[in-house]
Amino acid sequence: MAACAKGLDKCMFSLRLLRNPRLQNERFISTSLCRLAPAYNSEEPPKFTPPPKPVIIDKTQTVASLRKFLSPEFIPPRQRTDPFKFSIERKDMIRRRKVLNIPEFYAGSILAVTMADPNASGKMNRFVGICIQRGGKGLGATCVLRNIIDNQGVEICYELYSPRIQKIDVLKLEKRLDDNLMYLRDALNEYSSVDPDMKPVPFSPTGEVPFNKMKVRMRPKPWSKRWERPKFNIQGIRFDLSLTPEKMEHAQKWAQPWLEYDMLKEYDTSKLEEQIFREFQQEMSK
Amino acid sequence: MALHLLTRSLTGLLVESSSMIQPRTFSVTAVAAAIQKMTRVRVVDNSSLGNTPWHRPPRVIHVYTKNGVGKVGDRVLLAIKGQKKKALIVGHKMPGERMSPRFDSNNVVLIEDNGNPTGTRIKVPLPTHLRKVDGDYSKVLAIANSFV
Amino acid sequence: MASWSCRFLLQRGTRIFSLRTAAESPAHVAACIRTVKTTTWFDEHLTEDNQEYMRKSTAQEYRRQTADKLNPLKDEPWQRQEWTQGSRRVGLVAVKLGMAPIWTKTGERHVATMLQVQDCHVIKHLSKEEYDGHTAALLVGGKNVSPFHRSEEQMEMFRNAGVPPKHKVTTFKVSDNALIKPGTPLYAAHFRPGQYVDITAKSIGKGFQGVMKRYGFKGQPATHGQTKTHRRPGASGPGGDPAKVFKGKKMPGMMGNIFVTEYGLKIWRVNTKYNVLYVNGSVPGHKNCVLKIRDTVLPNRSSTLLSPPFPTYFTEEEGDLDEDLYDDNLFIHTDPSLTLT
Repeated sequence: MAACAKGLDKCMFSLRLLRNPRLQNERFISTSLCRLAPAYNSEEPPKFTPPPKPVIIDKTQTVASLRKFLSPEFIPPRQRTDPFKFSIERKDMIRRRKVLNIPEFYAGSILAVTMADPNASGKMNRFVGICIQRGGKGLGATCVLRNIIDNQGVEICYELYSPRIQKIDVLKLEKRLDDNLMYLRDALNEYSSVDPDMKPVPFSPTGEVPFNKMKVRMRPKPWSKRWERPKFNIQGIRFDLSLTPEKMEHAQKWAQPWLEYDMLKEYDTSKLEEQIFREFQQEMSK
Repeated sequence: MALHLLTRSLTGLLVESSSMIQPRTFSVTAVAAAIQKMTRVRVVDNSSLGNTPWHRPPRVIHVYTKNGVGKVGDRVLLAIKGQKKKALIVGHKMPGERMSPRFDSNNVVLIEDNGNPTGTRIKVPLPTHLRKVDGDYSKVLAIANSFV
Repeated sequence: MASWSCRFLLQRGTRIFSLRTAAESPAHVAACIRTVKTTTWFDEHLTEDNQEYMRKSTAQEYRRQTADKLNPLKDEPWQRQEWTQGSRRVGLVAVKLGMAPIWTKTGERHVATMLQVQDCHVIKHLSKEEYDGHTAALLVGGKNVSPFHRSEEQMEMFRNAGVPPKHKVTTFKVSDNALIKPGTPLYAAHFRPGQYVDITAKSIGKGFQGVMKRYGFKGQPATHGQTKTHRRPGASGPGGDPAKVFKGKKMPGMMGNIFVTEYGLKIWRVNTKYNVLYVNGSVPGHKNCVLKIRDTVLPNRSSTLLSPPFPTYFTEEEGDLDEDLYDDNLFIHTDPSLTLT
């Protein structure tokens, strides 16, 4: 009995093993199956069985993420506004999200935004770039995309809830070391260059978001801001290449370590987030 | 010591040229007010006047608007290579309206007095809302490489 | 009550003095002076239970009063008259929630201020003779508050109307055909999308300010031999002949905290369920301030006011209004994305 169970277990295990690569590389498996099919047929000549249709599940298509994610614009800022104002705004946001899919993305993800533009040829404008900043609360939420086109840095600030936006695609979902990548303006061009015809990189709809720990090399100073100052708290720059240790130490002169202990500045949104997320899911499933 | 310094500067130069940065030999005007008088600009067409190196960058010496601030589609007067030349603004560092592009440099295209472009090609993308101020700049739009 | 507490605190102060806690005593004296000015709280001599009971019963009472007033047409409404060109309707009292972006069908973005009409009731009718001899007027109040900071005359007025005491009561001049019975609730659907309104509120107070901030004077140069003169007003008028400073000369002084009216603001959208108005642009006052809205007096915008609900919107008459009323040009978030040509 025990041996039988063991064998079953093994069988299950191998099945699981089989299934796993399938999940990861559906396209490959399905095509190989297709190739195998005629050989299978030749063994049994009398009966013709049509080869199984190759099920090509295009993994390059972005799938809706299944992990628990609430867009940052849903969380109201801490101020003396009536919470009712945010709730009524949230209703409009959810209405818009039912029409336009605003996917999960972070600063550092690569996005393609299609926008109605009366001046563009074909009245449509598609821009691919790396998201360097997410801003705004409520209906006024924005994201800034950056790309280098013809050796010229271009940024576009998109209003996520604007009716002119036709489609938002996540081409590559990842997080970076910082929540705000404005320093890419002063980094070498290679770090913000994205191929406009880029194919979407498949990502798993569940599990952790890929985390890119890349640190960028900067152009020589002067920069648009003094990124080494503690108030920016930037992790993603190779400061050792552009600044001497003395200069890095000098920048610490502007540190305000006491702010960390300012209890009035603490704003714990976890409970609020939970509540809004529940409301969001309820409304979206309606 | 001197040799050491020399090699260091040389390597610096090499790094700079290899990474294809636009030349940044001079400091760049701040973002404050789009284009105004004395703004250093980058000529982005292939005219010989704008592309031959000169010891000082082209500067705006007049903006043909009522408030003296130039945005995309406005005409400016440049001091370039010791002569005066008109130009059309085709992009600036200051963010404009939402959903419209912002560029990393202040770009201009040299034009003649009648509005025809001096060069024959534009190397960088142009903002599409330049088409809104069409009319006498259709020739500039015609030589554009790409739009964004 | 106030005087009693004052005496008590003074005594305490002297006692502390006698103890000679040198470092603390000045602070205590200061505290004593401040405490004299405080008013009496309603729950000062109440036990916890009684406070709880008071709170509950007042809330219940307010709800009952509001519910009673929900259908004013039932108990003999006043004579209704037809809308004619040139009639002046009553306005509303609303609370400013904040601002939000809106988009038109051409893809343009505007900002709108969200105003919520909370418990707005007609309080009193003043006839022509009672008011100023020219027009009749209606007192309208909005936003229920505690009765403990209202004077007896005010409470009398609220009691006569049969409504809870209000945060703000304002007067609207109305034409004789637009009179409404006191106690009638007013709703946001009184205004319709596409019409223009004027909004009056107290602007945000800036305190005592100089002329540069208050009136936008230029000030003086930073350098070139200026002595103690950078943000000053400069000359205040001619010398010699008038030999005086004219009245109304712009001088430093208190800025803001005065009633300001914004004219001709378009109404983009009306939420009839929560009584929220979306008004174009900004309005005076801080967040959560109480303000007054009326049909615009601008002559060239009055044409937008075609057959409005007159004298006001009654729920019984057009109870089947949509939850949201939109302006024709406004993009509705349930529509598909725009394609522009």
